[in-house]
Amino acid sequence: MKKVALLIIFVLILVTSLVKNSTKEIEDKIFVLNESIRSLKVEFGDKMLEYNFLSSPDKLIQYQSQYFEKDLIRIDIMKIKELSERNDIIELNDFIKKIKDE
Amino acid sequence: MNEKYSKIVLEEYENRFLYKKSKTNLNIEFNRIAFIFFVFSMISIIFSIQLLHLGSLKIENKVRVLIGKNNYRSDIVDRNGNYLAKSVSSIDVGINPVEVIDKKRLLVNLQLIFPNKNYSELKKKLNKKKFFYLEKKISIENYEKIMLLGDKSIKSEEKLTRIYPQKNLFSHIIGQIDDDNKGISGIEKSFNKELKTSAEPLSLTVDTDIQFLIRKELVKFQSIFRSKGSAAILMNVDNGEIISMVSYPDFDLNKRETLEDLDLLNRASKGVYELGSVFKIFTVAAGLEEGLIEVDTEFLNLEKKLKCGKSTIGEYNKKIPSNLTVEQILIRSGNIGSVRIGQKLGIDKLKSFLNKIGVLTIIDFDIEEVGEPIPFRWGKCKLATVSFGHGITATPLQLAKGYAIIANGGFDIRPSLIKKNLNLTQKKKRIIKEGISKKINTILRKIVTTKEGTAGLANIEGYEIGGKTGTAPKAIAGGYSNANVNTFVAVFPISKPKYVMVVLLDEPKTSGDYIYKYKNKKGSYKGTPYNTAGWTSVEVAGKIMEKIGPILATKYIEN
Repeated sequence: MKKVALLIIFVLILVTSLVKNSTKEIEDKIFVLNESIRSLKVEFGDKMLEYNFLSSPDKLIQYQSQYFEKDLIRIDIMKIKELSERNDIIELNDFIKKIKDE
Repeated sequence: MNEKYSKIVLEEYENRFLYKKSKTNLNIEFNRIAFIFFVFSMISIIFSIQLLHLGSLKIENKVRVLIGKNNYRSDIVDRNGNYLAKSVSSIDVGINPVEVIDKKRLLVNLQLIFPNKNYSELKKKLNKKKFFYLEKKISIENYEKIMLLGDKSIKSEEKLTRIYPQKNLFSHIIGQIDDDNKGISGIEKSFNKELKTSAEPLSLTVDTDIQFLIRKELVKFQSIFRSKGSAAILMNVDNGEIISMVSYPDFDLNKRETLEDLDLLNRASKGVYELGSVFKIFTVAAGLEEGLIEVDTEFLNLEKKLKCGKSTIGEYNKKIPSNLTVEQILIRSGNIGSVRIGQKLGIDKLKSFLNKIGVLTIIDFDIEEVGEPIPFRWGKCKLATVSFGHGITATPLQLAKGYAIIANGGFDIRPSLIKKNLNLTQKKKRIIKEGISKKINTILRKIVTTKEGTAGLANIEGYEIGGKTGTAPKAIAGGYSNANVNTFVAVFPISKPKYVMVVLLDEPKTSGDYIYKYKNKKGSYKGTPYNTAGWTSVEVAGKIMEKIGPILATKYIEN
């Protein structure tokens, strides 16, 4: 009984120290990763902000009039078609039907 | 005798002692091991748990270090994750002249870093003893250069800069912050605490592309109809999510100006107006709800004019027949017919219905800029005027909510700008009887498709638009002005309503040059014949639908 109890205690201490050691290693790795992610996140946020500004509808319309000669055309919903594949056959259906069937 | 006695005592004592000692020894030994075992086990378990716990917590703590600071404010994004507001740290550099050791040397060095600065002015500032800012929002390159000078009089200060990449587009929704990072209007104010403490961006229900297209049309028609202002709301009828809310004129949030112009009021949620005939739908819906009328109930011998106190109630169109069904009253927008329905209902029933759909009381919304309907005393004349939408005020947002409830099958909704506020899983609460929506929606469609209807210009093919117009003279102190408030409420697709759209024009005027293209028949018409909603707001709504329709139909079809 004495030996078993001591053995369990010893095993527990060993396991705890092993867990602590491995956790510390993981913790260090997490810290390094987090630090690199943090700077990447800031950079991503800045790029995203730049992208959102440059691709904002207002800017796109501005570029369109600045660089393209043709005007934008409005899509007529009745002309939108929907492609669907059934039994290896591609079907072309009116998209607007889908709205009506809903 | 004496010797014998003492011997017996010794034996007894010895026996008792031996027995007791052996028993006690065993117990102490076992308890000690159990106790040590227990203590060690507990320590090991606690230690292991703590190790695991710390491992998972440390990352959050690092984020929290930033969040607690005053210069932290989380970003705001639209429903597609596009930035509407973003916080960027910037550095301001200033000089404390008292601490300058060599002024001449410092000026030469500064001239090398900032060649475009006015140095005679800078010299004057250096000669005074007051701290001044040399450069605000300095670039990283120049910041590094200036700090390398090593002059202790140069002070740097990190500041929070709020950037709004969409400029004017969401000005009324997002609102402004002050220099102390405190929200002073819009979402920035009402969600100030959340924005300062949340690591995640605040996600709104609005769509940038749709907001842009709607605003573009409002800006275009502002110059055509020369209105004082305009507003539009696009809302999902089932869950109250606001896809777009525009109020024009607006302002560029990046300029951070003090707004004093009353025209910059948020007309969509704060503007309180008499909205006119759009209210007739509520009167009819209340009549249907109470079982007092049906769609085909006939009202015979309707007068052309009604006298109520000092004022006279008349029809806007003298061609309106004297005998009308309930459906025809709505299609032709008959005032006298609506008054008759209102009178049939009585004050209590109409009041209770309007209260139920949230038209009479201040609306519960995500921003504080909400208008309060002007209170009034109910009476016979008030009942008559309220029946056709006069003498009663509401905001366009309240109107959108009321129409959404009527169109969605009679379920209560709460308009929302915040994605997480949407109760998508909660069971809907029915507040209007089943079947009323279908009857009203059919009439709304006829208002757009029939020749007698007042909203033919909104009949854009493919979207099944239904709706009701409202033209009301603008109330001023002591009466009414000659200017109008023209409103159109559209519900679409009418076979299974998904969206409600309100377009309001504040004091529009007729245009002599604008060319209307008919939707129900071939041909076009030059110039605005009447300053009514049917010729102004409906045209704007139709043009908006042409632009946003394909996006709504394709982008949100699976939602």
